[in-house]
Amino acid sequence: MHLPQLTTVVCFLAALLATQHPLTAAQKKLPPPAQRKVNFASDVLPLLQKNCYSCHGPDEQSGGLRLDRRQAAFRGGDSGKTIVPGKSAQSTLVLLVAGLDKRIGLMPPDGEGKPLTRTEVGILRAWIDQGASWPRSIDPQQAARAHWAFQPVRRPPLPQTDPTDWIQNPIDMFILSRLEKEHVTPSVPARKELLIKRLYLDLLGLLPSPPQLQQFLDDNRPGSYLRLVSRVLDSPHYGERWGRHWLDLARYADSDGYEKDRPRPHAWRYRHWVVNALNQDMPFDRFSIQQIAGDMLIPTTPGAQVASGFHRNTLHNTEGGTDREEDRVKKTVDRTNTLGTIWLGLTVGCAQCHSHKYDPLSQQEYYSLYGFLNQIEEQDIAAPLPVEADRHAKNKARFEQAHRPLTAAVTAYEQQGLPAAQLAWESKALQTGFAWTPLKLVSTDSKHGAQFQEQADGSVLATGKNQVSDIYTVVATTTLNRVTAIRLEVLPDKALPKNGPGRAKNGNFVLTTFRVETPTQERSPESSVHKFSEAHADYSQKDWNVSLAINDQSQDGWAVSPQIGKRHIAVFRFAEPIKAKDSVRLRVTLDQSYNQTSAHNIGRFRLSVTDHPGPVQLEGLTGDIVAALKTKATKRSPQQRELLAKYYHSIDPTLAALQHKVKEHAKQAPSAPATKAQSVRERNEPRVVRVHLRGNFLTPGDTVSINTPEILPSLTSRSDEPDRLDLAQWLFSPTNPLPARVTVNRIWQRYFGRGLVETTDDFGLQGEKPSHPELLDWLASELQSSQWRLKHIHRLIVTSATYRQSAANRQDLWDRDPENRLLARQSRRRVEAEIVRDLALTASGLLDPRIGGVSVKPSQPSRHAGLTYANSAKWQTSGGGDRYRRGLYTFFQRTSPFPMLMTFDAPDSTSCTARRSNSNTPLQALTLWNDAVFFECAQRLARRIVDEVPHDLTETPLSDRIDHGFQLCLSRYPTAVEKSAVANLFNQQRDLCRENPTAARTLLGPTTVPSDTTTEELAGWVLVARTLLNLDEFITKE
Amino acid sequence: MPFTAVSRDARREFFTTSAAGLGGLALTSMLADDRLLCAEADATQTSRLNIKPPHFAPRAKRCILIFLAGAPSHVDLYDPKPVLQQRHGQQLPKSLTDTVRFAFIKKDGAILMGSPRKFPQRGESAMPWCDLMPQLGSCVDDIALIRSMHTDAFNHHPAQLMMTTGVPRFGRPSLGSWLTYGLGSDSRNLPGYVVLPVGRGSSGGVSNWTSGFLPSSYEGVVFRSEGEPVLNLNNPPGVSRKMQELGLGGITTLNQERFQLLRDPEIASRISSYELAFRMQAAAPQLIDLSRESQETLDAYGVTRPEPKNHNFRGGGPHVYRQFATNCLLARRLVEQGTRCVTIMHASWDHHSNLTDEISYNAGMLDQPAAALLHDLKQRGMLDETLVVCAGEFGRTPLAENRGGAKQNTGRDHHPFGFSLWLAGGGIKGGQIIGATDDIGWAPVTDAVHVNDLHATIMHLFGFDHLKFTHRFRGLDVRLTDQGGHVVDKLLA
Repeated sequence: MHLPQLTTVVCFLAALLATQHPLTAAQKKLPPPAQRKVNFASDVLPLLQKNCYSCHGPDEQSGGLRLDRRQAAFRGGDSGKTIVPGKSAQSTLVLLVAGLDKRIGLMPPDGEGKPLTRTEVGILRAWIDQGASWPRSIDPQQAARAHWAFQPVRRPPLPQTDPTDWIQNPIDMFILSRLEKEHVTPSVPARKELLIKRLYLDLLGLLPSPPQLQQFLDDNRPGSYLRLVSRVLDSPHYGERWGRHWLDLARYADSDGYEKDRPRPHAWRYRHWVVNALNQDMPFDRFSIQQIAGDMLIPTTPGAQVASGFHRNTLHNTEGGTDREEDRVKKTVDRTNTLGTIWLGLTVGCAQCHSHKYDPLSQQEYYSLYGFLNQIEEQDIAAPLPVEADRHAKNKARFEQAHRPLTAAVTAYEQQGLPAAQLAWESKALQTGFAWTPLKLVSTDSKHGAQFQEQADGSVLATGKNQVSDIYTVVATTTLNRVTAIRLEVLPDKALPKNGPGRAKNGNFVLTTFRVETPTQERSPESSVHKFSEAHADYSQKDWNVSLAINDQSQDGWAVSPQIGKRHIAVFRFAEPIKAKDSVRLRVTLDQSYNQTSAHNIGRFRLSVTDHPGPVQLEGLTGDIVAALKTKATKRSPQQRELLAKYYHSIDPTLAALQHKVKEHAKQAPSAPATKAQSVRERNEPRVVRVHLRGNFLTPGDTVSINTPEILPSLTSRSDEPDRLDLAQWLFSPTNPLPARVTVNRIWQRYFGRGLVETTDDFGLQGEKPSHPELLDWLASELQSSQWRLKHIHRLIVTSATYRQSAANRQDLWDRDPENRLLARQSRRRVEAEIVRDLALTASGLLDPRIGGVSVKPSQPSRHAGLTYANSAKWQTSGGGDRYRRGLYTFFQRTSPFPMLMTFDAPDSTSCTARRSNSNTPLQALTLWNDAVFFECAQRLARRIVDEVPHDLTETPLSDRIDHGFQLCLSRYPTAVEKSAVANLFNQQRDLCRENPTAARTLLGPTTVPSDTTTEELAGWVLVARTLLNLDEFITKE
Repeated sequence: MPFTAVSRDARREFFTTSAAGLGGLALTSMLADDRLLCAEADATQTSRLNIKPPHFAPRAKRCILIFLAGAPSHVDLYDPKPVLQQRHGQQLPKSLTDTVRFAFIKKDGAILMGSPRKFPQRGESAMPWCDLMPQLGSCVDDIALIRSMHTDAFNHHPAQLMMTTGVPRFGRPSLGSWLTYGLGSDSRNLPGYVVLPVGRGSSGGVSNWTSGFLPSSYEGVVFRSEGEPVLNLNNPPGVSRKMQELGLGGITTLNQERFQLLRDPEIASRISSYELAFRMQAAAPQLIDLSRESQETLDAYGVTRPEPKNHNFRGGGPHVYRQFATNCLLARRLVEQGTRCVTIMHASWDHHSNLTDEISYNAGMLDQPAAALLHDLKQRGMLDETLVVCAGEFGRTPLAENRGGAKQNTGRDHHPFGFSLWLAGGGIKGGQIIGATDDIGWAPVTDAVHVNDLHATIMHLFGFDHLKFTHRFRGLDVRLTDQGGHVVDKLLA
């Protein structure tokens, strides 16, 4: 077996603990003790927690040493003390962490952590030398409780700063007060054109159009920027931009992932909901609760049910041979971890296999949390969009108006015409009707010991032994003296598998041969076999036609799968009628002996015969109807009258015609909208929740109760059995500090490139501390007190002076604050993959701005989808405007994602992504240069520049066109240097095009050249446009 | 243009922004790199994927992975089992079936199936070697064959991820990404990590060469066998090299203007990326242009060999033999030019049925080109520093499988408990067999090698202590070898 290699190493620790070394040369090399008073709780405990507790903590006590409890720590390991108060150089603990013990080496060992720094060892030494004081009140669980992120959100007072008109809102006071402490001044505000582009990119992911740009530039009244912010926040593209951020967290994709990677045709409905919910500024608590447990709300709404499809974004393995329970567990683990990242900012997943090494989360608590999500069942639901539902309601009303007269006609005839027609029928029914008379059974027999029970309706139920290839023999008589055909009904019965009619596991049977004989004499084995001329059945299984039951083959026969659990009829017409003086006696054989591996015998059947000379009918007058007809009308019992009325109702031709009209018209009924959504529901019978030892679902451990982590505020549940809805509501209880902090921090990250807490997905003990803790809490309390309105937070941030600063790097900050933690300037950052696409489409005017809807498949390089399993993911390029939709609508096939998106760091959507990487590679250059979509954008942009600045409107076309190109792509005018560089480039490219007219024509693509320009000029512009679309500035938020 | 200063910061920025936090290694190498930068005057150097030193002197500098996706049968290809042959048709001991899971075989009625293959002894090491791969048989003295592999996953995709990324789950960087991340690339004009697919797609698709949470610069770049070798390599119709050069000049000038204003090192990185892209546009077509290779070389690899008449197999296709041969030759040409890692990806070896014919076809595809690759590398003195690994994601059952109710047993099911693979070159001690499975090839009985052990060993060959080579992600120092892994000392020369 494969064992973690570290356990043995760790075990040595204890062996050495008891040994008291004399002061050696090694000990003299110890880092010096810290020269200050050391505090156990704030200085020492964090060191122990971080470095020691994974092997010497609550879960594991390697070598019997436990360092998370005061008493245990001083007691030492299996072989003695590790801490000698007052004598740090003789404390084994110190020697080990300093790596000065030659026999063992270093603690923590490789792979379990990083060595302590000399300063850290110094702190430990100082603590021991100062008496190793460990207050009884302090234990690590309490220390963890003191961790900043678990404290309640407290609205801090606004800090005092020097009076300045720089401050736009409280955010700036927090930022400025810190800058003042560091003696750093904020940067100048960004220029207006830069600001509008920044705002558009951040809030909408699109470029301002030249009129939008101009409107803002021309607005010199006070408050112009605030008005711009309001306009932009009202744009429905906001939901797309911020919806995509949310989809990163929700690991949204349009296919299952894994080998089969089947498409998810309904996945988009969830995305559609996200975009709309954000556009409506749905409060974030509602937005979250609907996703976590929208299906459980009372009453639930269609929207909330769609929202709970959040849980359906997990991977789903349909590869042959997959263990379905294993896959379900994997999904539940993913759901738990995703919830932990999004709303708690905790890496709860670390506790899946063992208690969390750093955070106060035991493995039991992990599975307690997992338990909330362990009760999910997946279901797809009808989820029409509101417009679809409206349209359907209207169509349905229109249809029903037309339909009503038809059904009324049926009712009218039933009341007025039918009784007379029935009387007319009754008078001649006996002469013309076709009747089946059940056989009277004499004996039933089975070759392999099946038992038969005669039923009230004259049928026979087979019970008892059910062996392969049984043969039933039935002897029966009829009062008819002439038999032209025989009927076999196989009947459903609750006693049979799948309700029968067969006794096979699936309810089927195989009637290999059906044979009828008449004994020549009573009890004589001699008999004559009566041949059939034809056989019909109401239904025959494919390749198992009823005619095969009367041929000579014994390897085929009649069967009825998949029409299981229903009555079926087979009728057999004799080649020659059977005649007898008074009554006919028959021996019927049901031979089921085809070569099968499991029993396929008939379970319940009835035999009837007829003397009718005409064509054989499956149904006919039954004995009771014949009896009723033979009874005088006045003497019929109420049952008989009802029987006749019911029967006639089923055969009246006029009624049938009217009913047919109803049925035909019903086909025109508008079908309900096909739009569906992936959703979930709570399981009726709760699953028991157990710990999975070492994270393996095949080795279940103790049962745990469903609960939230102990370190966080306690759960209030609606009943004794807490469920998913309780969990969702608990997240947003006023005492839970994490969701608000984590959420504002993530928002902040989108605007400044990094969060106030840099580890957006880890607010635990291992995460980074906030750079501006008070600001974080102030924003969190703003979010809470604004009823969780996200747009309120957006408005606060984008209207702050902090946000509006220039992004230019400052010489004075290069060394002091290379990561821009102090926020003395804005951050430049390349926009996300989808936005790179959106920008090129906007600048060129190709963008189809429709919002929401089904995922689209824009053109991608041929053969890319061939990388999937057996080339399974077909990519049928969308037509029309769908080729130019925004990047977030691109169909995301998990095993062959759209290459352009991946080249620009789109997440692979296999797990929750709180922060994308932001790389800068040659493949990105190749994509922007040469990908067919981007080149088409260059062609269209060129055409747009030329069309929108025609020769007859300007005396300096080149200069004006360059201006226009810059406006379209960069939302600004070029500098003189830039303008001359571009003019120069244009002239050179145009000259090349003039030298090679074929190439020039080719690179224009399928377009006409406007009359006031030439091929070479337009081609020159295509090449210039291509350059503009490839600029770093073009794809960067500045 | 003060490029040195720019690139210095570009690098710092790269390291601070491209990944959520830093592993210790990256930090040290960044400092090392800065020293390197001080010495270098050539601005174009910055476009290389930062060359970084490993922890200790490496034995291997480049890696070629031949990945046989779908998982070849070890008992038919590498691990002869006379006892299995004797027990052909017998039931499996109940003690074995009770404790295992199968993907497709039904436990009741599972019977053992022998192999018709012969394993004559080859080379000075007298290694028994499968008769389906006679030419590779001439290389056995350079090959270390591991017969005691085992893995954690028994479905294709998770198991492929296990072999390529070290864990049976999505989201982790592949081996090639780790190596390129850790070492950078010597290639000025070509990507550091290249993938050469052949045949139909594999279960894992791009997740087998993903950079996971590492920046996308370390993801494998697929060189395609049809059309342009790299996605979007060719200029659009009508755009000449001259126009491209002018365009690049324009981009550079304008980007430099922006840099002067904003001093953002990312702009300098962008300039470098465009220059590398431009060079790649020339270099990649040259790479796949085999006209300068001698006829002898082409013949040796089998680039022009005839395709088998029948290629209607899981691993088959009209050009699969030639494509695979070409890819083996391209792999040599790539590592020659400094590419760090090459993965040749062939699917499929998933022989649930028709095993004999299918594995014969696949082995025929593999044998000559793979042998030629080893000979060629050796002849050029490159084998010592080039690690070649030939592996699937798991093995196949010694039990027979009959798919779809076929009358006869013609295939084998997935088998993660024991399987074989081989390595050569790059500090590997050839001519030896590591480990053994039991009499029927079920599970290792000596020197069991877990996939993490294999990875630990590969890391070691490249000069890394696999425990120290980590990257911080979601609160954990993540490494290729996940929770385990020992270096297999016996493998080392």
